[in-house]
Amino acid sequence: MRVRFWGVRGSLPVPGARTERYGGNTSCVEITSAAGTRIIIDGGTGIRRLGKDLMRAEFESGKGQAHILISHTHWDHIQGLPFFAPFYREGNRLFVYARQRDDQNLRSVFASQADAPFFPVSFDSTRANVSFRELHDGAKFEIEDMRVATTRLNHPHVATAYSIAADGARVAYVSDTAPFSDILFGQEFLSGPSSPRAQPSKADKAKLKSMAAAVVRLCEGADLVIYDTMYTANEYRQFPHFGHSRPSDAIEVCREAGVKTLALFHHAPDRSDAEVDAVLEAARAQGARESKKLEILASYEGLDLSLGKV
Amino acid sequence: MEVTFWGVRGSIPSPGPATVRYGGNTSCVSVRLSDGEVIIIDCGTGARNLGISLLGTAFGRGEGSATVLLSHAHWDHIQGFPFFGPFYVPGNRFTIVGGSHGSELLERVLERQMAAQFFPVQSYRNMGAHIEMRALSEDRAATVGQAKITAYPNPHGPTLALAFRIEAQGKSLVYASDVGYGEGGPSEAAVALYRGADLLIHDCTFTPEDRSRRITRGLSSLDDAVEAALRAQVKRLALFHYDQDYSDHDVDGLVARGRRLLDERGARALEILGAAEGLTLSL
Repeated sequence: MRVRFWGVRGSLPVPGARTERYGGNTSCVEITSAAGTRIIIDGGTGIRRLGKDLMRAEFESGKGQAHILISHTHWDHIQGLPFFAPFYREGNRLFVYARQRDDQNLRSVFASQADAPFFPVSFDSTRANVSFRELHDGAKFEIEDMRVATTRLNHPHVATAYSIAADGARVAYVSDTAPFSDILFGQEFLSGPSSPRAQPSKADKAKLKSMAAAVVRLCEGADLVIYDTMYTANEYRQFPHFGHSRPSDAIEVCREAGVKTLALFHHAPDRSDAEVDAVLEAARAQGARESKKLEILASYEGLDLSLGKV
Repeated sequence: MEVTFWGVRGSIPSPGPATVRYGGNTSCVSVRLSDGEVIIIDCGTGARNLGISLLGTAFGRGEGSATVLLSHAHWDHIQGFPFFGPFYVPGNRFTIVGGSHGSELLERVLERQMAAQFFPVQSYRNMGAHIEMRALSEDRAATVGQAKITAYPNPHGPTLALAFRIEAQGKSLVYASDVGYGEGGPSEAAVALYRGADLLIHDCTFTPEDRSRRITRGLSSLDDAVEAALRAQVKRLALFHYDQDYSDHDVDGLVARGRRLLDERGARALEILGAAEGLTLSL
Protein backbone atom coordinates (compact mmCIF):
# COMPACT_ATOMS: atom_id res chain seq x y z
CA MET A 1 0.00 0.00 0.00
CA ARG A 2 1.25 3.43 -0.88
CA VAL A 3 0.19 6.59 0.99
CA ARG A 4 0.92 10.00 -0.56
CA PHE A 5 0.19 13.36 1.02
CA TRP A 6 -1.02 16.13 -1.32
CA GLY A 7 -2.38 18.62 1.23
CA VAL A 8 -1.72 18.68 4.99
CA ARG A 9 -3.04 22.08 6.08
CA GLY A 10 -6.23 22.94 7.97
CA SER A 11 -8.74 25.81 7.63
CA LEU A 12 -7.50 27.42 4.42
CA PRO A 13 -4.60 27.21 2.01
CA VAL A 14 -1.60 29.27 3.11
CA PRO A 15 0.85 29.99 0.31
CA GLY A 16 4.15 31.66 1.07
CA ALA A 17 7.74 31.21 2.11
CA ARG A 18 6.79 30.29 5.69
CA THR A 19 5.02 27.10 4.60
CA GLU A 20 7.23 26.04 1.73
CA ARG A 21 8.57 22.89 3.38
CA TYR A 22 5.44 21.32 4.90
CA GLY A 23 3.17 22.83 2.26
CA GLY A 24 0.20 25.20 2.28
CA ASN A 25 -2.48 23.14 0.52
CA THR A 26 -5.54 21.90 2.40
CA SER A 27 -6.29 18.25 3.18
CA CYS A 28 -5.84 15.52 0.60
CA VAL A 29 -4.26 12.06 0.98
CA GLU A 30 -4.01 9.37 -1.72
CA ILE A 31 -3.89 5.67 -0.85
CA THR A 32 -3.25 3.05 -3.52
CA SER A 33 -3.05 -0.72 -3.19
CA ALA A 34 -0.43 -2.87 -4.87
CA ALA A 35 -3.17 -4.04 -7.24
CA GLY A 36 -3.80 -0.42 -8.27
CA THR A 37 -7.05 0.40 -6.44
CA ARG A 38 -7.08 4.11 -5.68
CA ILE A 39 -8.67 5.83 -2.67
CA ILE A 40 -8.42 9.58 -2.14
CA ILE A 41 -9.33 10.97 1.26
CA ASP A 42 -10.65 14.54 1.18
CA GLY A 43 -10.64 17.10 -1.62
CA GLY A 44 -8.85 20.15 -0.20
CA THR A 45 -6.70 22.22 -2.57
CA GLY A 46 -4.07 19.45 -2.54
CA ILE A 47 -6.31 17.41 -4.85
CA ARG A 48 -5.59 19.81 -7.73
CA ARG A 49 -1.98 18.64 -8.05
CA LEU A 50 -3.02 15.03 -7.51
CA GLY A 51 -5.45 15.48 -10.41
CA LYS A 52 -2.67 16.80 -12.63
CA ASP A 53 -0.53 13.84 -11.63
CA LEU A 54 -3.34 11.39 -12.47
CA MET A 55 -3.86 13.02 -15.88
CA ARG A 56 -0.41 11.77 -16.85
CA ALA A 57 -1.76 8.21 -16.86
CA GLU A 58 -5.09 6.45 -17.54
CA PHE A 59 -7.25 9.38 -16.36
CA GLU A 60 -6.10 11.40 -19.38
CA SER A 61 -7.63 8.85 -21.74
CA GLY A 62 -10.82 8.57 -19.66
CA LYS A 63 -9.97 5.15 -18.30
CA GLY A 64 -9.25 6.10 -14.70
CA GLN A 65 -11.13 5.08 -11.61
CA ALA A 66 -10.86 6.52 -8.09
CA HIS A 67 -12.83 6.46 -4.86
CA ILE A 68 -13.00 9.77 -2.97
CA LEU A 69 -13.80 9.47 0.73
CA ILE A 70 -14.84 12.76 2.32
CA SER A 71 -14.33 13.22 6.08
CA HIS A 72 -16.80 16.14 6.15
CA THR A 73 -17.80 19.01 3.90
CA HIS A 74 -16.07 21.98 5.56
CA TRP A 75 -14.38 24.02 2.81
CA ASP A 76 -10.83 22.91 3.52
CA HIS A 77 -11.86 19.32 2.74
CA ILE A 78 -13.77 19.92 -0.51
CA GLN A 79 -12.58 23.21 -2.03
CA GLY A 80 -10.17 21.53 -4.44
CA LEU A 81 -12.79 19.27 -6.06
CA PRO A 82 -13.84 21.74 -8.80
CA PHE A 83 -10.16 21.82 -9.81
CA PHE A 84 -9.72 18.03 -9.97
CA ALA A 85 -9.02 17.50 -13.66
CA PRO A 86 -10.22 13.84 -13.91
CA PHE A 87 -13.82 15.09 -13.34
CA TYR A 88 -13.70 16.81 -16.71
CA ARG A 89 -12.67 13.81 -18.84
CA GLU A 90 -15.36 11.56 -20.22
CA GLY A 91 -15.04 7.92 -19.26
CA ASN A 92 -13.37 8.38 -15.89
CA ARG A 93 -15.31 6.77 -13.06
CA LEU A 94 -15.29 8.59 -9.75
CA PHE A 95 -17.09 7.47 -6.62
CA VAL A 96 -17.64 9.99 -3.82
CA TYR A 97 -18.38 8.76 -0.30
CA ALA A 98 -19.46 10.84 2.67
CA ARG A 99 -21.64 10.69 5.73
CA GLN A 100 -25.36 10.67 5.14
CA ARG A 101 -27.06 13.93 5.99
CA ASP A 102 -30.60 14.44 7.15
CA ASP A 103 -31.32 17.71 5.41
CA GLN A 104 -29.61 17.55 2.03
CA ASN A 105 -28.48 14.78 -0.25
CA LEU A 106 -24.79 14.45 -0.87
CA ARG A 107 -24.84 15.27 -4.55
CA SER A 108 -26.53 18.62 -3.91
CA VAL A 109 -23.98 19.57 -1.25
CA PHE A 110 -21.17 19.04 -3.74
CA ALA A 111 -23.06 20.40 -6.72
CA SER A 112 -23.79 23.65 -4.88
CA GLN A 113 -20.04 24.35 -4.72
CA ALA A 114 -20.02 24.51 -8.51
CA ASP A 115 -23.20 26.60 -8.87
CA ALA A 116 -23.43 30.15 -10.09
CA PRO A 117 -22.48 32.64 -8.76
CA PHE A 118 -19.57 30.79 -7.13
CA PHE A 119 -18.02 28.80 -9.97
CA PRO A 120 -18.23 29.02 -13.76
CA VAL A 121 -18.47 25.28 -14.47
CA SER A 122 -21.62 23.62 -13.18
CA PHE A 123 -21.35 20.18 -11.62
CA ASP A 124 -23.76 18.77 -14.18
CA SER A 125 -21.32 19.60 -16.92
CA THR A 126 -18.51 17.46 -15.52
CA ARG A 127 -17.92 14.77 -18.09
CA ALA A 128 -16.73 11.90 -15.89
CA ASN A 129 -19.13 9.35 -14.52
CA VAL A 130 -19.55 10.50 -10.88
CA SER A 131 -21.60 8.58 -8.34
CA PHE A 132 -22.26 9.28 -4.70
CA ARG A 133 -22.53 6.89 -1.82
CA GLU A 134 -23.93 8.05 1.50
CA LEU A 135 -22.48 6.36 4.58
CA HIS A 136 -24.05 5.77 7.95
CA ASP A 137 -21.88 6.04 11.08
CA GLY A 138 -19.79 2.91 11.54
CA ALA A 139 -20.25 1.71 7.94
CA LYS A 140 -17.84 -1.02 6.78
CA PHE A 141 -17.43 -1.86 3.10
CA GLU A 142 -15.00 -3.06 0.48
CA ILE A 143 -13.53 -1.21 -2.44
CA GLU A 144 -11.99 -3.85 -4.70
CA ASP A 145 -9.11 -5.26 -2.62
CA MET A 146 -9.29 -2.54 0.07
CA ARG A 147 -11.37 -2.88 3.23
CA VAL A 148 -12.80 0.36 4.61
CA ALA A 149 -14.16 0.96 8.11
CA THR A 150 -15.60 4.23 9.46
CA THR A 151 -16.52 5.84 12.72
CA ARG A 152 -18.00 9.16 13.79
CA LEU A 153 -15.73 11.97 14.99
CA ASN A 154 -16.30 14.85 17.39
CA HIS A 155 -16.47 17.91 15.16
CA PRO A 156 -18.96 20.71 14.40
CA HIS A 157 -21.52 19.27 11.97
CA VAL A 158 -19.85 15.84 12.50
CA ALA A 159 -16.93 14.29 10.60
CA THR A 160 -16.07 10.70 9.67
CA ALA A 161 -12.82 8.80 10.33
CA TYR A 162 -11.73 6.09 7.90
CA SER A 163 -9.50 3.06 8.20
CA ILE A 164 -8.25 1.33 5.07
CA ALA A 165 -6.69 -2.12 5.02
CA ALA A 166 -4.95 -3.74 2.06
CA ASP A 167 -1.73 -5.55 1.23
CA GLY A 168 -1.33 -6.65 4.85
CA ALA A 169 -1.20 -3.06 6.12
CA ARG A 170 -3.66 -0.60 7.60
CA VAL A 171 -3.90 3.17 7.67
CA ALA A 172 -6.43 5.31 9.58
CA TYR A 173 -7.39 8.91 8.78
CA VAL A 174 -8.76 10.75 11.84
CA SER A 175 -9.48 14.34 10.82
CA ASP A 176 -11.15 16.58 11.85
CA THR A 177 -11.89 15.92 15.50
CA ALA A 178 -11.83 17.52 18.91
CA PRO A 179 -10.70 15.44 21.88
CA PHE A 180 -13.43 13.30 23.44
CA SER A 181 -13.43 15.04 26.79
CA ASP A 182 -14.74 18.60 26.88
CA ILE A 183 -17.47 19.26 24.32
CA LEU A 184 -19.81 16.98 22.39
CA PHE A 185 -20.18 18.57 18.98
CA GLY A 186 -23.34 18.45 16.97
CA GLN A 187 -25.14 20.82 14.61
CA GLU A 188 -25.41 23.92 16.80
CA PHE A 189 -23.10 26.94 16.72
CA LEU A 190 -20.77 27.40 19.71
CA SER A 191 -19.71 30.99 20.13
CA GLY A 192 -16.78 30.45 22.46
CA PRO A 193 -15.08 28.40 25.14
CA SER A 194 -17.42 29.77 27.79
CA SER A 195 -20.45 28.20 26.18
CA PRO A 196 -22.64 26.33 28.65
CA ARG A 197 -22.02 23.27 26.50
CA ALA A 198 -18.36 23.42 27.52
CA GLN A 199 -19.13 21.22 30.51
CA PRO A 200 -20.56 18.05 29.08
CA SER A 201 -23.62 16.55 30.72
CA LYS A 202 -23.54 12.98 32.00
CA ALA A 203 -25.26 11.82 28.83
CA ASP A 204 -22.79 13.72 26.63
CA LYS A 205 -19.89 12.28 28.59
CA ALA A 206 -21.13 8.77 27.96
CA LYS A 207 -21.49 9.49 24.24
CA LEU A 208 -17.98 10.97 24.08
CA LYS A 209 -16.58 7.94 25.87
CA SER A 210 -18.11 5.51 23.42
CA MET A 211 -17.00 7.70 20.48
CA ALA A 212 -13.44 7.65 21.82
CA ALA A 213 -13.53 3.87 22.25
CA ALA A 214 -14.73 3.47 18.66
CA VAL A 215 -11.88 5.67 17.38
CA VAL A 216 -9.36 3.55 19.32
CA ARG A 217 -10.91 0.39 17.82
CA LEU A 218 -10.69 1.90 14.34
CA CYS A 219 -6.97 2.61 14.88
CA GLU A 220 -6.23 -0.71 16.62
CA GLY A 221 -2.92 -2.09 15.36
CA ALA A 222 -2.73 0.36 12.44
CA ASP A 223 0.61 0.85 10.72
CA LEU A 224 -0.14 4.53 10.23
CA VAL A 225 -2.63 6.94 11.79
CA ILE A 226 -3.09 10.37 10.22
CA TYR A 227 -4.55 12.57 12.96
CA ASP A 228 -5.88 16.14 13.24
CA THR A 229 -3.34 17.83 15.53
CA MET A 230 -4.08 21.41 14.58
CA TYR A 231 -3.66 22.90 18.04
CA THR A 232 -0.98 23.25 20.65
CA ALA A 233 -2.15 22.87 24.26
CA ASN A 234 -2.32 26.66 24.59
CA GLU A 235 -4.35 27.16 21.45
CA TYR A 236 -6.75 24.41 22.48
CA ARG A 237 -7.47 26.23 25.74
CA GLN A 238 -8.43 29.32 23.69
CA PHE A 239 -10.40 27.55 20.97
CA PRO A 240 -11.90 24.30 22.30
CA HIS A 241 -15.10 25.14 20.43
CA PHE A 242 -13.57 24.83 16.94
CA GLY A 243 -13.32 21.06 17.11
CA HIS A 244 -9.62 20.20 16.72
CA SER A 245 -7.11 18.13 18.72
CA ARG A 246 -3.58 18.47 20.10
CA PRO A 247 -0.69 16.07 19.49
CA SER A 248 -1.20 14.76 23.04
CA ASP A 249 -4.74 13.63 22.11
CA ALA A 250 -3.42 11.79 19.07
CA ILE A 251 -0.63 10.17 21.09
CA GLU A 252 -3.13 8.93 23.66
CA VAL A 253 -5.32 7.29 21.00
CA CYS A 254 -2.28 5.79 19.23
CA ARG A 255 -0.84 4.42 22.45
CA GLU A 256 -4.12 2.76 23.43
CA ALA A 257 -4.54 1.37 19.93
CA GLY A 258 -0.96 0.08 19.63
CA VAL A 259 -0.31 2.11 16.48
CA LYS A 260 3.12 1.98 14.78
CA THR A 261 3.36 5.45 13.29
CA LEU A 262 1.45 8.66 13.97
CA ALA A 263 1.41 11.37 11.30
CA LEU A 264 0.57 14.81 12.68
CA PHE A 265 -1.84 16.38 10.19
CA HIS A 266 -4.10 19.38 9.48
CA HIS A 267 -1.47 21.88 10.58
CA ALA A 268 -2.83 25.28 11.67
CA PRO A 269 -2.67 27.93 8.95
CA ASP A 270 -0.52 30.16 11.14
CA ARG A 271 2.08 27.47 11.77
CA SER A 272 5.36 28.20 9.97
CA ASP A 273 7.69 25.39 8.92
CA ALA A 274 9.94 26.06 11.93
CA GLU A 275 6.91 25.97 14.22
CA VAL A 276 5.75 22.62 12.79
CA ASP A 277 9.29 21.36 13.46
CA ALA A 278 8.93 22.47 17.08
CA VAL A 279 5.47 20.86 17.44
CA LEU A 280 6.93 17.62 16.07
CA GLU A 281 9.90 17.73 18.42
CA ALA A 282 7.65 18.27 21.45
CA ALA A 283 5.30 15.48 20.31
CA ARG A 284 8.22 13.09 19.87
CA ALA A 285 9.47 13.89 23.36
CA GLN A 286 6.04 13.21 24.80
CA GLY A 287 5.61 10.11 22.65
CA ALA A 288 8.94 8.72 23.86
CA ARG A 289 7.82 9.14 27.48
CA GLU A 290 4.44 7.51 26.99
CA SER A 291 4.96 4.85 24.38
CA LYS A 292 8.36 3.46 23.40
CA LYS A 293 7.07 1.90 20.19
CA LEU A 294 5.21 4.82 18.66
CA GLU A 295 6.97 6.66 15.85
CA ILE A 296 5.82 10.21 15.14
CA LEU A 297 6.23 12.29 12.00
CA ALA A 298 4.71 15.53 10.74
CA SER A 299 2.86 15.21 7.43
CA TYR A 300 4.17 17.28 4.56
CA GLU A 301 3.18 17.73 0.94
CA GLY A 302 4.98 15.11 -1.12
CA LEU A 303 5.41 12.64 1.75
CA ASP A 304 5.22 9.19 0.17
CA LEU A 305 5.02 6.14 2.47
CA SER A 306 4.99 2.46 1.61
CA LEU A 307 3.22 0.10 4.02
CA GLY A 308 3.03 -3.70 3.85
CA LYS A 309 3.23 -5.17 0.37
CA VAL A 310 3.72 -2.58 -2.36
CA MET B 1 -3.61 56.90 -1.73
CA GLU B 2 -1.72 53.76 -0.79
CA VAL B 3 -2.44 50.46 -2.54
CA THR B 4 -1.28 47.09 -1.12
CA PHE B 5 -1.58 43.67 -2.74
CA TRP B 6 -2.51 40.75 -0.44
CA GLY B 7 -3.52 38.18 -3.04
CA VAL B 8 -2.75 38.30 -6.76
CA ARG B 9 -3.64 34.80 -7.93
CA GLY B 10 -6.70 33.62 -9.88
CA SER B 11 -9.00 30.60 -9.49
CA ILE B 12 -7.47 28.78 -6.53
CA PRO B 13 -4.64 29.44 -4.04
CA SER B 14 -1.43 27.88 -5.29
CA PRO B 15 1.02 27.33 -2.43
CA GLY B 16 4.50 26.01 -3.11
CA PRO B 17 8.09 26.99 -3.80
CA ALA B 18 7.27 28.07 -7.38
CA THR B 19 4.96 30.91 -6.26
CA VAL B 20 6.76 32.31 -3.23
CA ARG B 21 7.86 35.58 -4.84
CA TYR B 22 4.60 36.82 -6.43
CA GLY B 23 2.48 34.86 -3.95
CA GLY B 24 -0.14 32.13 -4.17
CA ASN B 25 -3.11 33.76 -2.40
CA THR B 26 -6.25 34.63 -4.32
CA SER B 27 -7.42 38.18 -5.07
CA CYS B 28 -7.35 40.86 -2.39
CA VAL B 29 -6.17 44.48 -2.58
CA SER B 30 -6.36 47.15 0.11
CA VAL B 31 -6.46 50.89 -0.39
CA ARG B 32 -5.67 53.36 2.36
CA LEU B 33 -6.76 56.93 1.69
CA SER B 34 -4.94 59.89 3.21
CA ASP B 35 -7.98 60.59 5.42
CA GLY B 36 -7.50 57.12 6.95
CA GLU B 37 -10.41 55.42 5.14
CA VAL B 38 -9.75 51.77 4.29
CA ILE B 39 -11.20 50.21 1.15
CA ILE B 40 -10.75 46.51 0.46
CA ILE B 41 -11.23 45.15 -3.04
CA ASP B 42 -12.20 41.46 -3.17
CA CYS B 43 -11.83 38.90 -0.42
CA GLY B 44 -9.78 35.98 -1.76
CA THR B 45 -7.46 34.13 0.64
CA GLY B 46 -5.16 37.19 0.66
CA ALA B 47 -7.76 38.78 2.97
CA ARG B 48 -6.49 36.58 5.79
CA ASN B 49 -3.07 38.27 5.85
CA LEU B 50 -4.66 41.71 5.39
CA GLY B 51 -6.82 40.93 8.43
CA ILE B 52 -3.81 39.93 10.51
CA SER B 53 -2.14 43.23 9.55
CA LEU B 54 -5.26 45.30 10.37
CA LEU B 55 -5.64 43.65 13.79
CA GLY B 56 -2.51 45.59 14.77
CA THR B 57 -4.47 48.84 14.25
CA ALA B 58 -7.86 50.22 15.40
CA PHE B 59 -9.45 47.04 13.99
CA GLY B 60 -7.83 45.03 16.80
CA ARG B 61 -9.62 47.22 19.36
CA GLY B 62 -13.01 47.08 17.68
CA GLU B 63 -12.71 50.66 16.48
CA GLY B 64 -12.09 50.05 12.80
CA SER B 65 -14.30 50.62 9.82
CA ALA B 66 -13.82 49.72 6.18
CA THR B 67 -15.64 49.33 2.90
CA VAL B 68 -15.31 46.05 1.00
CA LEU B 69 -15.90 46.14 -2.76
CA LEU B 70 -16.70 42.78 -4.35
CA SER B 71 -16.12 42.43 -8.09
CA HIS B 72 -18.16 39.21 -8.27
CA ALA B 73 -18.83 36.10 -6.20
CA HIS B 74 -16.56 33.45 -7.70
CA TRP B 75 -14.76 31.57 -4.90
CA ASP B 76 -11.37 33.11 -5.48
CA HIS B 77 -12.87 36.54 -4.72
CA ILE B 78 -14.82 35.65 -1.57
CA GLN B 79 -13.12 32.61 0.00
CA GLY B 80 -11.05 34.73 2.42
CA PHE B 81 -14.21 36.30 3.90
CA PRO B 82 -14.60 33.71 6.70
CA PHE B 83 -10.91 34.11 7.64
CA PHE B 84 -10.73 37.90 7.83
CA GLY B 85 -9.88 38.51 11.50
CA PRO B 86 -11.41 42.01 11.92
CA PHE B 87 -14.86 40.57 11.12
CA TYR B 88 -14.62 38.74 14.46
CA VAL B 89 -13.97 41.83 16.61
CA PRO B 90 -17.18 43.38 17.98
CA GLY B 91 -17.28 47.11 17.39
CA ASN B 92 -15.70 47.04 13.93
CA ARG B 93 -18.00 48.22 11.15
CA PHE B 94 -17.97 47.07 7.54
CA THR B 95 -19.98 47.92 4.49
CA ILE B 96 -19.83 45.32 1.76
CA VAL B 97 -20.64 46.69 -1.67
CA GLY B 98 -21.34 44.33 -4.53
CA GLY B 99 -23.29 43.61 -7.70
CA SER B 100 -26.45 45.20 -8.90
CA HIS B 101 -28.89 42.41 -8.08
CA GLY B 102 -29.86 43.79 -4.70
CA SER B 103 -28.38 43.50 -1.24
CA GLU B 104 -30.49 40.44 -0.38
CA LEU B 105 -28.73 38.42 -3.03
CA LEU B 106 -25.33 39.66 -1.88
CA GLU B 107 -26.23 38.60 1.62
CA ARG B 108 -27.46 35.18 0.47
CA VAL B 109 -24.25 34.60 -1.47
CA LEU B 110 -21.94 35.41 1.44
CA GLU B 111 -24.21 33.62 3.88
CA ARG B 112 -24.13 30.42 1.85
CA GLN B 113 -20.36 30.28 2.19
CA MET B 114 -20.78 30.45 5.97
CA ALA B 115 -23.46 27.72 6.14
CA ALA B 116 -23.03 24.94 8.70
CA GLN B 117 -22.15 22.19 6.24
CA PHE B 118 -19.22 24.30 4.95
CA PHE B 119 -17.99 26.40 7.88
CA PRO B 120 -18.44 26.13 11.65
CA VAL B 121 -19.39 29.79 12.22
CA GLN B 122 -22.68 29.15 10.33
CA SER B 123 -23.59 32.82 9.67
CA TYR B 124 -21.85 36.13 9.19
CA ARG B 125 -24.09 37.37 12.00
CA ASN B 126 -22.06 35.17 14.37
CA MET B 127 -18.82 36.91 13.44
CA GLY B 128 -19.04 39.81 15.88
CA ALA B 129 -18.46 42.93 13.79
CA HIS B 130 -21.27 44.99 12.34
CA ILE B 131 -21.50 43.99 8.67
CA GLU B 132 -23.85 45.75 6.30
CA MET B 133 -24.48 44.56 2.76
CA ARG B 134 -25.20 47.15 0.12
CA ALA B 135 -25.86 46.66 -3.57
CA LEU B 136 -24.54 49.35 -5.88
CA SER B 137 -27.10 51.94 -6.81
CA GLU B 138 -28.43 52.30 -10.37
CA ASP B 139 -25.79 54.84 -11.33
CA ARG B 140 -23.09 52.48 -10.01
CA ALA B 141 -21.48 55.23 -7.97
CA ALA B 142 -20.72 55.50 -4.28
CA THR B 143 -18.80 57.70 -1.88
CA VAL B 144 -16.43 56.54 0.85
CA GLY B 145 -15.07 59.43 2.89
CA GLN B 146 -13.44 61.71 0.35
CA ALA B 147 -13.25 58.99 -2.27
CA LYS B 148 -15.56 58.71 -5.23
CA ILE B 149 -16.15 55.16 -6.41
CA THR B 150 -17.57 54.23 -9.79
CA ALA B 151 -18.07 50.78 -11.23
CA TYR B 152 -18.64 49.13 -14.57
CA PRO B 153 -19.74 45.53 -15.19
CA ASN B 154 -17.28 43.85 -17.57
CA PRO B 155 -18.09 40.57 -19.31
CA HIS B 156 -16.63 37.57 -17.47
CA GLY B 157 -17.52 34.36 -19.31
CA PRO B 158 -21.18 33.60 -18.67
CA THR B 159 -21.39 36.27 -15.97
CA LEU B 160 -20.24 39.82 -15.19
CA ALA B 161 -17.53 41.19 -12.93
CA LEU B 162 -17.44 44.75 -11.67
CA ALA B 163 -14.44 46.94 -12.42
CA PHE B 164 -13.97 49.71 -9.87
CA ARG B 165 -12.47 53.20 -10.13
CA ILE B 166 -11.51 54.93 -6.90
CA GLU B 167 -10.72 58.64 -7.04
CA ALA B 168 -9.46 60.70 -4.14
CA GLN B 169 -7.32 63.83 -3.85
CA GLY B 170 -6.68 63.97 -7.55
CA LYS B 171 -5.38 60.41 -7.76
CA SER B 172 -7.14 57.49 -9.35
CA LEU B 173 -6.95 53.72 -9.07
CA VAL B 174 -8.77 51.23 -11.30
CA TYR B 175 -9.26 47.54 -10.46
CA ALA B 176 -10.37 45.47 -13.43
CA SER B 177 -10.00 41.77 -12.68
CA ASP B 178 -11.74 38.79 -14.26
CA VAL B 179 -12.45 40.35 -17.63
CA GLY B 180 -13.09 38.48 -20.86
CA TYR B 181 -13.41 41.14 -23.54
CA GLY B 182 -15.05 40.38 -26.85
CA GLU B 183 -13.10 40.45 -30.09
CA GLY B 184 -12.88 44.24 -30.18
CA GLY B 185 -11.14 44.38 -26.79
CA PRO B 186 -12.38 46.60 -23.95
CA SER B 187 -15.68 48.38 -24.57
CA GLU B 188 -15.84 52.18 -24.82
CA ALA B 189 -17.51 52.27 -21.40
CA ALA B 190 -14.72 50.19 -19.86
CA VAL B 191 -12.06 52.42 -21.42
CA ALA B 192 -13.93 55.45 -20.07
CA LEU B 193 -13.81 53.99 -16.56
CA TYR B 194 -10.06 53.26 -16.86
CA ARG B 195 -9.16 56.55 -18.59
CA GLY B 196 -6.01 58.24 -17.36
CA ALA B 197 -5.79 56.22 -14.14
CA ASP B 198 -2.61 56.60 -12.11
CA LEU B 199 -2.72 52.85 -11.60
CA LEU B 200 -4.67 50.23 -13.53
CA ILE B 201 -4.73 46.80 -11.86
CA HIS B 202 -5.77 44.55 -14.72
CA ASP B 203 -6.56 40.88 -15.11
CA CYS B 204 -3.62 39.13 -16.77
CA THR B 205 -4.49 35.48 -16.12
CA PHE B 206 -2.90 34.09 -19.26
CA THR B 207 -0.29 34.49 -21.93
CA PRO B 208 -2.06 35.19 -25.27
CA GLU B 209 -1.33 31.58 -26.31
CA ASP B 210 -2.90 30.09 -23.18
CA ARG B 211 -5.92 32.38 -23.40
CA SER B 212 -6.69 31.30 -26.94
CA ARG B 213 -7.09 27.74 -25.64
CA ARG B 214 -9.34 28.79 -22.76
CA ILE B 215 -11.40 31.54 -24.31
CA THR B 216 -14.67 30.54 -22.59
CA ARG B 217 -13.19 31.21 -19.16
CA GLY B 218 -13.81 34.92 -19.64
CA LEU B 219 -10.38 36.03 -18.48
CA SER B 220 -7.71 38.32 -19.93
CA SER B 221 -4.38 37.73 -21.53
CA LEU B 222 -1.33 39.97 -21.35
CA ASP B 223 -2.41 41.45 -24.71
CA ASP B 224 -5.80 42.43 -23.27
CA ALA B 225 -4.20 44.12 -20.27
CA VAL B 226 -1.74 46.03 -22.44
CA GLU B 227 -4.45 47.02 -24.93
CA ALA B 228 -6.71 48.32 -22.15
CA ALA B 229 -3.84 50.31 -20.60
CA LEU B 230 -2.88 51.85 -23.96
CA ARG B 231 -6.38 52.79 -25.02
CA ALA B 232 -7.18 54.32 -21.65
CA GLN B 233 -3.79 56.05 -21.51
CA VAL B 234 -3.17 55.04 -17.91
CA LYS B 235 0.10 55.94 -16.18
CA ARG B 236 0.90 52.60 -14.61
CA LEU B 237 -0.26 49.02 -15.30
CA ALA B 238 -0.15 46.27 -12.67
CA LEU B 239 -0.66 42.75 -14.02
CA PHE B 240 -2.92 40.71 -11.73
CA HIS B 241 -4.85 37.43 -11.21
CA TYR B 242 -2.21 35.06 -12.58
CA ASP B 243 -3.13 31.51 -13.56
CA GLN B 244 -2.64 29.05 -10.70
CA ASP B 245 -0.09 27.07 -12.69
CA TYR B 246 2.18 30.03 -13.47
CA SER B 247 5.46 30.03 -11.56
CA ASP B 248 7.31 33.16 -10.47
CA HIS B 249 9.50 32.66 -13.52
CA ASP B 250 6.43 32.58 -15.80
CA VAL B 251 5.14 35.84 -14.27
CA ASP B 252 8.57 37.46 -14.75
CA GLY B 253 8.15 36.47 -18.40
CA LEU B 254 4.71 38.12 -18.61
CA VAL B 255 6.06 41.38 -17.21
CA ALA B 256 9.08 41.42 -19.56
CA ARG B 257 6.91 40.62 -22.57
CA GLY B 258 4.44 43.35 -21.54
CA ARG B 259 7.31 45.84 -21.36
CA ARG B 260 8.38 44.92 -24.91
CA LEU B 261 4.80 45.25 -26.20
CA LEU B 262 4.44 48.71 -24.68
CA ASP B 263 7.80 49.82 -26.08
CA GLU B 264 6.84 48.59 -29.54
CA ARG B 265 3.66 50.64 -29.31
CA GLY B 266 5.68 53.72 -28.36
CA ALA B 267 4.43 53.83 -24.76
CA ARG B 268 7.80 53.98 -23.05
CA ALA B 269 6.48 56.20 -20.28
CA LEU B 270 3.76 53.73 -19.33
CA GLU B 271 5.12 51.75 -16.41
CA ILE B 272 4.30 48.03 -16.14
CA LEU B 273 4.77 45.79 -13.13
CA GLY B 274 3.66 42.42 -11.84
CA ALA B 275 1.44 42.68 -8.76
CA ALA B 276 3.04 40.75 -5.90
CA GLU B 277 1.86 39.90 -2.39
CA GLY B 278 3.13 42.48 0.07
CA LEU B 279 3.84 45.14 -2.57
CA THR B 280 2.63 48.64 -1.63
CA LEU B 281 2.33 51.43 -4.19
CA SER B 282 1.82 55.06 -3.28
CA LEU B 283 -0.17 57.18 -5.71
